[in-house]
Parts: sequence; C-alpha cells; structure tokens
Amino acid sequence: MSAPSFTSFIVKRPWLKNFMTPLSNWYCNAAGYRKLGLRADDLISEEDETVLLALKRLPEKEAYDRVFRLRRAFQVGPTYANISASLAHQLLPKEQHTKPEEDYPYLSPIIREIEAEAKERSDLESLSIKRK
Amino acid sequence: MISRSAIGRNAQLALRRQCCAQPANRRGFAAAVSGSTSFSYETADVGGVKVASRDIAGPTTKLAVVAKAGTRYESAPGVATGLEYFAFKNTDKRSALRITRESELLGGQLTAYHTREALVVEANFLREDLPYFTELLGEVISQTRYTSHEYHEEVEARLHLEQKRIFADASHIAINSAHGVAFHKGLGNPLFPSPSTPLSKYLNEESIKAFASSAYAKPNIAVVANGASQAELAKWVGEFFTNVPGSSSTVSSEATKYYGGEERTAHGSGNSLVIAFPGSSSFTAGGSYKPEVSVLAALLGGKSTIKWSPGFSLLSKSSASFPGASAATSHFAYSDAGLLAIEFSGSAQAIRAASTEAVKALKSIAEGSISKEDFTKAVALAKYRALEEGQNFEAGLVSTGTGLIHGGKAFQIDEVGKSVESVTADQLQSAAKALLEGKATVSAVGDLYVLPYAEELGLKV
Repeated sequence: MSAPSFTSFIVKRPWLKNFMTPLSNWYCNAAGYRKLGLRADDLISEEDETVLLALKRLPEKEAYDRVFRLRRAFQVGPTYANISASLAHQLLPKEQHTKPEEDYPYLSPIIREIEAEAKERSDLESLSIKRK
Repeated sequence: MISRSAIGRNAQLALRRQCCAQPANRRGFAAAVSGSTSFSYETADVGGVKVASRDIAGPTTKLAVVAKAGTRYESAPGVATGLEYFAFKNTDKRSALRITRESELLGGQLTAYHTREALVVEANFLREDLPYFTELLGEVISQTRYTSHEYHEEVEARLHLEQKRIFADASHIAINSAHGVAFHKGLGNPLFPSPSTPLSKYLNEESIKAFASSAYAKPNIAVVANGASQAELAKWVGEFFTNVPGSSSTVSSEATKYYGGEERTAHGSGNSLVIAFPGSSSFTAGGSYKPEVSVLAALLGGKSTIKWSPGFSLLSKSSASFPGASAATSHFAYSDAGLLAIEFSGSAQAIRAASTEAVKALKSIAEGSISKEDFTKAVALAKYRALEEGQNFEAGLVSTGTGLIHGGKAFQIDEVGKSVESVTADQLQSAAKALLEGKATVSAVGDLYVLPYAEELGLKV
C-alpha cells in the first residue's frame, strides 16, 4: 500500500522544497533504518495483496538485493530473539549505511501502478456483486 | 468514467443512445451502405504501408494488420507466438483493460493469430467505427509496451497451456513434424513451441520486443480490409500509422528448399500419419504457382463433399473399406513453396492399410489410369475450393496480406479460377509422376509398432 504523501505538493514549490529538504534528511537519518542498511521502501508492510503482487513484479536483481538488505538488518539490528544484541543495539559499520542517493523508491512506483490498475478496473467494471 | 479524448465519437454516441427510446420506424441494419459486390482487392501504398481493401456491401468490416512475422521468420523459438499473445496488451496510451472495454462498447471483436508466414492482428466491427479501430490497430503494433509483468503473468502462462494442448493432438504433431522434415528451418519451424523446447533460454519480453520492432515495420506489414472503402481506409491509415517505424532491420528467411525424409514419434493418445510431397506456392506468389497440385489434392481427396456417399475422390473410395481410419489431402501453399500432405488418423491398424492404398492410388494417377470423369470432377472441386477460399473473408484476408508483404500480388479471385480450369490431364499425370520420383516426407505419430515405415509403403525418403 502506498502511504499518503505530500511529496508532489512540496516538490512543486521551490521555497517549500528548500525549507523541507534538510528537515526530511534529518528525519530519514533519525529514523535509523539507513544505519541498518535498509531503504525506505523496505519498510512497507508485506501483509497486503497489492504489495505481494508488486514484490513478484520486481526485477530479479532488485528482489535479490531487497532480501539481502532485510537479512542483513535482521542479523545486526535489534532482534527479538536475542535480547542482549537488541540491548547492545548493534548497527552496521558506517561504510555500509545506506547513502541518501541509494535510498530511492524501487517498490512504491510498482505499488502505485498496481493501485492505478485496480482503480481503473473498478471504474470500468459495470458489474458489481452485492452480498446480502 | 471514460475520458472523452480516449474514445471515439461513435462510442459516445453509442453510450448516449443506450438510454434514448428508439423510433418505432427505425430500420434494422440501416448503416450507410457503400461499395460493390466485387470480390477483387484494390491495393495502394499509403506512406509506405501497403493497404488493400475489398468494398463488399454490408454493415460490418473486418480489418487486419498482416505482418511478416509468422513462425518462419522467428528470431528465436516461440517469439511469433509470444508476439501474438502480446497483441491488445497495455500500450503507451491505454491499458489492455481499457482496450477491451472500449471495443466491447462498440460491439467489436479483437483477435490475433499466426500462421507459418504471417501474424494477423484483426478487428471485426460495424462499418462506421473504422476510424476507431484503425487507430487501435496502429497503436497496438507501434506502441505496445511489452512489460515484464504481463509477460510473466499472462503471456507465459497462456503459452504453457497452449503447449499442453498441442502436445495432446497427434495430428498437429504429425503435420508439424512433416513441415520440419520437409523444410528444416524457416517453414519447418513448429507452429507452436513443443513442451520440451527450452523456451526460457530464448523467450522473454525483451526478445519479443526486439522481434516486434523489426516485424511491425512499414515494409513488413499490410493493412487489409473487407467491407471498407479504399479511399476511407487509406485516409485513416495515413493518419494513424505514422508511428510505425519505417525502415527495419531485416526480417528474413532463406529461400525455402525441400528436403524430405522420415520422422517417427511415439505418442500415447491417438495415431496420425502424414505423407507429404513438395507442392505449389500460393497464387499470390506469381510465377511458381502450379494449379495442377490443387487439382491433384482434390482428386486424392479423402473427405467426402456430398452427404451419404464416399464421394468420387480416390482416397475416400479406398478408405471406405477400412473403417476406423480417415484420410484427408490438403495443400499448404506458402509464398515460395508448398506442401501437399495426405493425413491419416484413426486406429493404427486401419491407418496402416489405408496408407498403403493411398500410395497405390497416387501411383495409378502417375500411370494415367484415371477416368476422364474423375478428372473433370476434381478440376471442378479444386476450382470451387479456390474460389470459395477467395470469397471467404478470413482466408482471402490472410492470403492477400501475405501476398502483399512478400512483394507479390493480392488474391484475385477470377484469375485463380481461370488457372485451375486450364489444368489438363497430362499436366496432372506428370505432376504425380514427379512427386513419386522425388523424395517423400513421411511422419508417423502414435503407435509406432504398427504404423508403417516409408519404405514399406513404397516411397522414397
């Protein structure tokens, strides 16, 4: 599922963009996922039909890299299984952190495409089933 | 719901009309009827695209893009089939779903199929919707997106089902195998990839896209219509086919050579035997057209054309004594070669007996022991079949398109009739003799313990 976003609203207005960019960089770094080597799109919940379909449509390389990032994050990051590691709150070494330019949306465009398809289908569908 | 720009004026009218009460005196089928009852095609060249149309009076139109992209021209196994399945999928302008819904709204029918030489993307619709469907076909061949997910989710899945269907059909396997043995590459490529073809090695959305960009280039396509006036068709093709790439990386295939030989395939369900000989190229090819081969096919026959009687044809007379086997002679005509094939199907024992009789029948034609009456009947049937094919929308459309893209001529019905009529008994006899002297093609599929070898039948392979 794609989350509601003000991005396009902000990007259209240069003064607002200049104001928001440092703020958003600060937020992304503070959120901590980059220190675990993840990307923002890795955090989208998988428990959803649309996302599952989008994951199937990922190019092979992207899908492989995604699984790699997730596994790496689970192993070094705070895990539920290992309380002491969680408390130790290990992070990846600095050079393995996700760089801001690597943190691009690779999954959400596909999700938006699937949502657009579903919307078009429901718009064009003349039959609707009503359960009583 | 549907944006105004996306859909033609007629669709909007159709939508609007749904709710209005229709006047009681409205006539059915009262579309403006233009055109004639002539069965000949007019051809023209519109901005590099070959256009042919036959303006038959009537309220419906059949419009097709015939591309030089049949299995003969495949760059890798299965791409022609893949390209066929990609017809009417997502384009740059609209989605596959929208294409479907819009044509439903106009009462149109969309189909795509391929033969060994041509790939046909076709639409059937009401005469007044010509602009909408011309635009659609132009868009499908030039702006389809060939997305990866459509390939994996739809095209590939359908291809696997088709492979399974084909594998269950013994007579289809036998005909494919006969083509392979007779022509090796090119025309010998199977019409659909067999289930054991290593498809994943060759076939993906990229290879299909690459094949499409060469196959759907202006020199390789012809737009053929039945029931549309030439002037109107040329106008809309000129407007909507501008995006089609002009020059192409060549789609080519070597000139077909006949090899001949024998292939035997064990198969669990059904038996089929094909005995084939080099035939004649199609009428649209020009010079190498031999009408006596189609007369020979009619004389050998197999399927009766008259009810409650085995008919005059030699095979149906002989196979009447072997219940359980059916024989049929067909002539596959291509742009530079042809294959005269006798197909048997039924129980293995009956096929064995019937095929022996069939070779005897062919020998009797070569010796000239055919009655004058049978010969006259065969000429009449061959003429009827040729003319009926020309009159038939589907066949005429494909053969005209194929003829045009191979630099030949359109399918002109009256000339075909004349050339079949002019066949003499001597021509027929020498044609049959030449067949028996050359190498035959024999394909047996099914119970190989019983089905005969070519040598047992007395054929050279």
